[in-house]
Amino acid sequence: MFLALKEIKYEKLRYGLITLMIFLIAYLIFMLSSLSVGLASENTQAVNSWQTQAVVLNDNSNVSLSQSLLTKEDLKDFKKTKNDSYVGIVPIVMKEKKHQTISAQFIGLNKDEYIYKDLEVVSGRKAKHNDEIAVDQILWNRGYRLGDKVTLNGSDQKYKIVGFLKNAKINIAPIAYGTMATWKKLRPMAPNVEASGIISKKNLDFKAKNVRSYDKQTFVNKLPGYTAQNSTFELMIGFLFVISLIVIAVFLYILTIQKMPNYAVLRAQGIPSKTLIGATLSQSLILVIIGTVLAYLLMLLTVSVMPATVPIDFAPWIMISTIAGMILMGAIGGLIPIRSILKVDPSKAV
Amino acid sequence: MSVIELKDVSKSYGQGDAKVNALKNINFEAQKGEVVLIEGPSGAGKSTFLTIAGALQKPTSGEVFIGKKDVTNYSPKQADALRLDKIGFVLQAYNLVPYLTVREQFILVDKVKKTGNLSKEALDRLLDELGISQLVNKYPKELSGGQQQRVAIARALYADPAIILADEPTASLDSEKVEEVGKLFKTLAKQKEKAIILVTHDLRLNKYSDKIYEMLDGHLSLKKK
Repeated sequence: MFLALKEIKYEKLRYGLITLMIFLIAYLIFMLSSLSVGLASENTQAVNSWQTQAVVLNDNSNVSLSQSLLTKEDLKDFKKTKNDSYVGIVPIVMKEKKHQTISAQFIGLNKDEYIYKDLEVVSGRKAKHNDEIAVDQILWNRGYRLGDKVTLNGSDQKYKIVGFLKNAKINIAPIAYGTMATWKKLRPMAPNVEASGIISKKNLDFKAKNVRSYDKQTFVNKLPGYTAQNSTFELMIGFLFVISLIVIAVFLYILTIQKMPNYAVLRAQGIPSKTLIGATLSQSLILVIIGTVLAYLLMLLTVSVMPATVPIDFAPWIMISTIAGMILMGAIGGLIPIRSILKVDPSKAV
Repeated sequence: MSVIELKDVSKSYGQGDAKVNALKNINFEAQKGEVVLIEGPSGAGKSTFLTIAGALQKPTSGEVFIGKKDVTNYSPKQADALRLDKIGFVLQAYNLVPYLTVREQFILVDKVKKTGNLSKEALDRLLDELGISQLVNKYPKELSGGQQQRVAIARALYADPAIILADEPTASLDSEKVEEVGKLFKTLAKQKEKAIILVTHDLRLNKYSDKIYEMLDGHLSLKKK
């Protein structure tokens, strides 16, 4: 540690540049991880807020809530409990002449079921009547206010915004919650249709003709674009870790090769290899920790000034796992030059 | 009493037609308080001698004794400890770590060898004697060649070794400085009872020596006793 710190202090520019590279990579990993989690969260926010454990859908819907319709006939054998909630979903375009047009998802609920009861109201109240909706709080940022009257899908009917809700997004789109009757009006269909699907906060295994239940993960993975988006981010983050490993290893290897004559002199003086290996590993870890901590501080600043519309979620586990990952890369990168250090021939000092 | 002795030591490199016999059955000894010079032209085997006497490599045959102990077949780890404890090197490159100040060169020794080093007072006296006590916060690149040489000598003495091995210690010094370094080695040998072995081309050091060996084509012979 002594040699590591002294050399970093002496060669400020050289080690500053390596730290800068590590800092930029760590910052990019923080940013991509936060965006990945933010986007994933906007895909599944509502599903999570419903405490979903299982979803009952039409067997031919390809595990898509918006493609599914359940009729009374389909559900004749389904025994609804207090843990189940019927959900009707339809895409909508919300217009109000003073504000920007919003693409959203309308979700119709029954007032006596748990999802409706558990909705988290930020301001106003839940929708009680067929001409009322309660919307995701992101619409507040886009200028919508309580009492605004909007049209949905170009109909003449006006719907009054009576509340703003927390965690009301699905598949990145904001949700407008209303009654099941409004849903049936917005999505014309056969009169015996009950809902798009049934959400349950308990595991259930229901199967009937044309109907079956799915667990939460299967349902979430089938959300349009969800798996592709997550895989893309995971691939990018993985590559960044590999790049950080290569950067650390290459820099330390070059520096070690440059220091070979010095190391030969130190070895001739009886300084053991383990001291020199310890110095290289310590240097690697010091640079990684400084670079990553600086990136963390910049990330905190970035999150604080980022507009609310940017889906960024800098969760504590991202910070912990990125720092742990970078330290691991630093340790592995620091091990690469060890072979060269072990091969230093002290007789070359003479 | 011999503090270092080489008995019938040979060293060869390569095999077959490419075989080079760098040292040929040499015998050597140095006592406490002696300044011993190894002279000879380039390529005579002086550096090979130094590496074997300093436990930096093993002889092909023969035996090396340091303080009566046979160190010929010491493992690398044992050789590290031996050099740290018993042998001080003063090399042509002055063996200073470029990113450590003069003071930190000694701290590094403390970090590795926890006991047996000079006390703070003894180090201060040594630095005074060498005329470098005002340079303790400077880096090697801020020192002149002569100053670096004296720091390297202090660094070699700091671990209080019985033997000092110096490779061309006056190579880059002017005549005045050569006299200074010669006197210094003589004084250190006598006052601190070290065996000082100087491998050199520099005949100006002859007058400070107790013994002179000549190395020629791998053969070592005693020239002056």
